[in-house]
Amino acid sequence: MDQYLPILVLLVLGILFAALSFVASSLLAPRKRPTTAKLAPYECGIVPDREPPQRFPVRFYLVAMIFIIFDIEIVFLYPWAVIFRSLRTFGLIEVIVFAVIVFVSFLYLVSNGALDWGPAKSLRPALSDGPRTTQSTIARVGPDAGPPTGRAA
Amino acid sequence: MTTAPVLSLIHVLALGDPLFSNGVHWAELLIVLIKVVVAFAALMVSVMLMIWFERKVISDMQARIGPNRAGPWGLLQTLADGTKLFFKEDLMPDQADRFVFKLAPYLSLLPAFLAFTIVPVGGVVTVASHTFELQVADPPVGILFLLAMSSVSVYGVMLAGWSSGSKYPLLGSVRASAQMISYEAALGMSVVTVVLIAGTLSTRGIINAQSHTFFTSWNLIRTGVVPFVLFMIAITAELQRPPFDLAEADSELVGGFHTEYASIRFAMFFLAEFMNTITMSAVIVTLFLGGPDGPTAHLPVLSWLIPIGWFLGKTVVFLFVYVWLRAALPRLRYDQLMDLGWKILIPLSLGWVLLVAAVLVGGWWGAGIFLGMALGFGLLVRAVVVGKERDSDTGSLSADLPAPRALPGSDPGRAGRFDPSSPRTSGL
Repeated sequence: MDQYLPILVLLVLGILFAALSFVASSLLAPRKRPTTAKLAPYECGIVPDREPPQRFPVRFYLVAMIFIIFDIEIVFLYPWAVIFRSLRTFGLIEVIVFAVIVFVSFLYLVSNGALDWGPAKSLRPALSDGPRTTQSTIARVGPDAGPPTGRAA
Repeated sequence: MTTAPVLSLIHVLALGDPLFSNGVHWAELLIVLIKVVVAFAALMVSVMLMIWFERKVISDMQARIGPNRAGPWGLLQTLADGTKLFFKEDLMPDQADRFVFKLAPYLSLLPAFLAFTIVPVGGVVTVASHTFELQVADPPVGILFLLAMSSVSVYGVMLAGWSSGSKYPLLGSVRASAQMISYEAALGMSVVTVVLIAGTLSTRGIINAQSHTFFTSWNLIRTGVVPFVLFMIAITAELQRPPFDLAEADSELVGGFHTEYASIRFAMFFLAEFMNTITMSAVIVTLFLGGPDGPTAHLPVLSWLIPIGWFLGKTVVFLFVYVWLRAALPRLRYDQLMDLGWKILIPLSLGWVLLVAAVLVGGWWGAGIFLGMALGFGLLVRAVVVGKERDSDTGSLSADLPAPRALPGSDPGRAGRFDPSSPRTSGL
């Protein structure tokens, strides 16, 4: 079991390297007080007028949850793979059952659109089915405007 | 009776490793120290060379000269850049979470160091009656250790972006963490096929299982090429290398998760990124190309250098491929990235694990699984179609956007666009 000692030593060496680099940097770097503008969040020179968003699209959260399902599957697959040669047919059938269950739930998620990230192309329906004429493509405004043509609201 | 626990306690305190219950010889300690220091130095130097190599190759591909001032052929350019960063002002933004902001570079760098420990770089060497493997460490759970390190490095990226208290780093880190966990599943499952063939998680065991004959006994052939391709794609995404570098998409997000980092902290992220690239190239070689395996000649001296040469040669090929990908391919869009990861790589890697296992049991099982994979593919295509239809029915994203405001007397569908005669714009 002496194979973990080198990892530990390298960990210590890595921490030392990083810490010493920070010390060296703090000794060598200029020590003037940065201006307020320099300390402000970087937004290409524009003064930030609002906090960074606290809320994010729920899809990121969904992906993290779905990942857990697959991560658990992987956790089970590793020990199974190591002793697969002694399990043979029994192991194969068992993992097929397991994979099918996961795959069916995956199909359910995909068919619900849970993993769709694409832009919503259907947001604005296409122009009406008729021919493209000045009547169908130019919206008339003002008192003589007719009923809306082309796009449905 | 009481001396043994006391002795082992001394060892625990002296070494920090509770697994040494029988004590340890000083020569073994010396070997460990030499291995670690050599690996550390080799990693640093190879990162230096890798950055130079990438800049030089890309500039050749773009018909530029590239770095050519510091040292011969600009070889010392990286060193000069690194030294310069020591002399730069270390900024911490006002809004930053100070502790986490300082912690994140460590979380990025240390896994990069540790992941390299499990890579076998050569054969077995005997020096003064001490036999040891040319590999920093060979834990029995090597592959799991590698996956664990790659998971921990997600934290570095995520916390760096979150703690900056700024817009672009936050967006970059959220993107990066979603991307990394998406491809980690495909990554894990493509490695399972290798473990199936080798029957062990130790990297030394995996290269031993591939060393019967040259080339045909490599896992690249024995797992049927597909897991290799899957692993290659997944690892490129995991490394945030182009064409999957959405977390650092400079045209959208400035610098991504390390926008607010300056000076040596920025250098740490850079170092970790390139170290991971080198480690993962070495891991591909280990898992699929037999590691240091290759034809050797029995020289009177230095014959242990030949496997190292094979290992380095194969690794450099993959490093070149990474640079080549960066020069050749444009960046993916985020939805393309997610679709590739979830709807192609993950189902394919899952099916291929079953296929490899079934072929190991018997040919008929393999044929059955192959049919099952075809059926699963059909179901998946149908599910994707249904998902798209459902999306367009309900317009799930459209709920997030403000509805076009209808103005009196104008076409409701046209409202919100520029309209010179509308009362809102003409009155200005």
